[in-house]
Amino acid sequence: MVRPPLLTYGFAHCGDELTQQRTPVHLRARGLDTLLRPVHRWVWADPHRRAHKLLRFAETEADGGRDIARAAELTGDGVLRRLYLRHAIDELRHADLFRTRGRQMLATLPRQDAAGEANWFAPGERGLDDLTVEREKDDTLLAFLHLSERAAALRFALYREVLTHDPETREVFEGILRDEAFHMSYTRKQLERVSRRHGLRLWTARLHRLWKVYLRFATAFASVMGAVILTVQYFVVLPIFALAAKRSARREARGWTLVAGKEPPTFTGQYG
Amino acid sequence: MSKVLGISAHYHDSAAALLVDGELVAAVQEERLSRHKNDAAFPVGAIEHCLDRAGLEPQQLDAVVFYEKPMLKFERILTMALREWPRTFSSFPRAMKSTLGEKLWVKGLIKSWLGVPSSKILFTEHHRGHAAAAFLTAPTKEAAILTADGVGEWATLSVGRGKRAPDKTEVDILREIRFPHSLGMLYSTFTAFLGFQVNEGEYKVMGLASYGTPKYADEVRKVVRRTDDGAFQLDMSFFEYHTTAKRSFSKRFIDVFGPPRAPWEPLDPTGDEGRRHADIAASVQHVLEEILVDMCKRLHDETKLPDLCLGGGVALNGVCNARILRESGFERVFVPPAPGDAGCALGAALLVDRVHFGNPDRLFPDHPYWGPDMEPDELARLAREDGLALVEMGSDAELFAHLARELHGGKIVGWMDGRTELGPRALGNRSILSAPHTAEQRDRLNRSIKFREEFRPFAPAVPTEHASKYFDLPPGGHRLARFMSGVFPVREEHQSSLAAVTHVDGTARVQTVERDLSPRFHALLEAYGKQSGIPVLLNTSFNLAGEPIVNRAVEGYSTFRRCGIDLLVAGRYVVTKERAADRPADADAKEAAA
Repeated sequence: MVRPPLLTYGFAHCGDELTQQRTPVHLRARGLDTLLRPVHRWVWADPHRRAHKLLRFAETEADGGRDIARAAELTGDGVLRRLYLRHAIDELRHADLFRTRGRQMLATLPRQDAAGEANWFAPGERGLDDLTVEREKDDTLLAFLHLSERAAALRFALYREVLTHDPETREVFEGILRDEAFHMSYTRKQLERVSRRHGLRLWTARLHRLWKVYLRFATAFASVMGAVILTVQYFVVLPIFALAAKRSARREARGWTLVAGKEPPTFTGQYG
Repeated sequence: MSKVLGISAHYHDSAAALLVDGELVAAVQEERLSRHKNDAAFPVGAIEHCLDRAGLEPQQLDAVVFYEKPMLKFERILTMALREWPRTFSSFPRAMKSTLGEKLWVKGLIKSWLGVPSSKILFTEHHRGHAAAAFLTAPTKEAAILTADGVGEWATLSVGRGKRAPDKTEVDILREIRFPHSLGMLYSTFTAFLGFQVNEGEYKVMGLASYGTPKYADEVRKVVRRTDDGAFQLDMSFFEYHTTAKRSFSKRFIDVFGPPRAPWEPLDPTGDEGRRHADIAASVQHVLEEILVDMCKRLHDETKLPDLCLGGGVALNGVCNARILRESGFERVFVPPAPGDAGCALGAALLVDRVHFGNPDRLFPDHPYWGPDMEPDELARLAREDGLALVEMGSDAELFAHLARELHGGKIVGWMDGRTELGPRALGNRSILSAPHTAEQRDRLNRSIKFREEFRPFAPAVPTEHASKYFDLPPGGHRLARFMSGVFPVREEHQSSLAAVTHVDGTARVQTVERDLSPRFHALLEAYGKQSGIPVLLNTSFNLAGEPIVNRAVEGYSTFRRCGIDLLVAGRYVVTKERAADRPADADAKEAAA
């Protein structure tokens, strides 16, 4: 059984009565994810890949926890602050659970480089990596969080389903899913509390997520195109200059380069 | 009246510093405001804070100084890509995209953010900025200067001298060592090899080194060779940082030092593999010290000056600094509280004010507290709203006596007071404090608050007048310990009573606290001394892993709620995690279910 370390350090003050209320959840993957189940099963079959994915999830959860803690610091709503802090602690604990399990697995496996996570096929939880908490109002943030938590919960439910061969990792997801269900529920309830137009907020958040997906794709595409053009230039334009640079490097003296006695640098130039 | 704004940005630890009429008004790292650790973004928040503090609009500035010369840096990046052609084919597109995207167009960026004309935008050389930050903030009239970091434009290490007179200030660089030969990059390569994050995990290498013996020192000396003129040169066949961004060490490096440690692998310095890692850390630490001590000796022989100012990220290596103080011949060694890139914002502003504008020299206030202020009432409001027990003490004396009792009873205190420190260290204004006596207390801090590796040491803080009783400080040691810049032995008879802050090799990165520097922190230490008999407290930065040090009360409060800190203090307010008498026990649960 994976140790849940943070719970052992006295977080009763943070409202552990919330944890006690949590019951097993019966979420199931839907839509495209159901069709992709064989791909997910393949991705999670390899123990190295599984371990590295867990470690990456740990980072994502920790980052998400920091964003939510930041939201707690920024909100003027006392109820939201307390719930966000609780949520942030959960994320920190999830990070620890993922990290512990990932390390536990790697300790039993032969050493191998961290390559081949197959993220293209099974991207896993994106967390809150594209969220700028400072720019969000309470209602838009709650809508975003609700959708993110829901997406994460459904994805984790799928992982739980395909992990029949690894009961310990499955148990980690099972435990985390309970929290995710709570996060889904409180964000929805609070959204309804703080915004009369909560339905509109949710739809706006959905569109915003789609826009972010497009932006992510567009940025990646532009980056690839840029890399291709620069690589072509590198091999077509640069060789002659490279030759000159290599020759001058050979002439360079070893050790100190004297600066004293030279023209003092100006403050106006960007070059010298 | 001249108003000069210094800016550092784009690589790591961006920051801003504002001088008005030659006096520093404010200096703060962007990470403290944006809450992104090591934030390298253009420091809009930091600039805004500095201007607000002085009540200025950007248009009223006489100069905005950037801490390095972007074109010269670009020249280095391009030249290295050409020199190592075709091995740089994978790093070239990445480097170009990154540089041409934003980093090269600093002038335009400053103009668009601040609306100042081009003629007011100035640039200093990176290492000259480090040199100015080290020398012009130190209480000395004339000193030798040594700066070392990963790399600036071309320079990676420079030596020079500074002289201050009422009518003229000089900060001169005499000679420099150029990229790719870099002690900072050498240390960072070993940091990456040992599985730690570069620009973040160098402290861990230093901490780990104490567990090992420098068995690989000869191998490291093959990687970094001394040249006849007293400089050094790296054998680049051991490195890849100059050709790719993927990995900094080469296959040859692995052939010599064995397989690298993966970041997720547990590190137990007492096990076989852990001992190998510790020995490697000890070896690179040993060779780094050897080279820097020798360079400083030569610099002392050359300048015959009693004072040395150290700058650049390498000056954060407290073990090395202490050896330089003991062995180089310099009587006093000054390291500013922010010797890294954040401090360069201040260095650049000082350089322009004193050298470019020729303004008269001024005594620089010798403290690190230049950031935003603490607002204790904000903490009181949060605690009341959340129904936590809050006490306002009647006087400082009552507060310190109460805290001393609690600390002596094993409680861990989050302490926020005055303005935020500039630099990576919590020097008593944003600190987590604890009794320093037992290893169990250290382990508790590591497990339930800092969530960090157990081999890393914690630092002690002690009133300067008591420091020599507990720590073996050489002449000049008090000064080096002022900003926690040196590692010194704990006196043998006190090692068992200071177990939480005594590292495995019997040393500690001690902070000496002067009454004038930090009166309230000093008084708390004295009160703790009265309570426990030992006026020493464990002082660690007030943050959780992966987060910057807290700045405002609300950030301290959020940190307090997410970890095992027992008491939170701001002003005379003390908050605990007990429920206030008027808050129902099931309030949180009801709130969530509502």
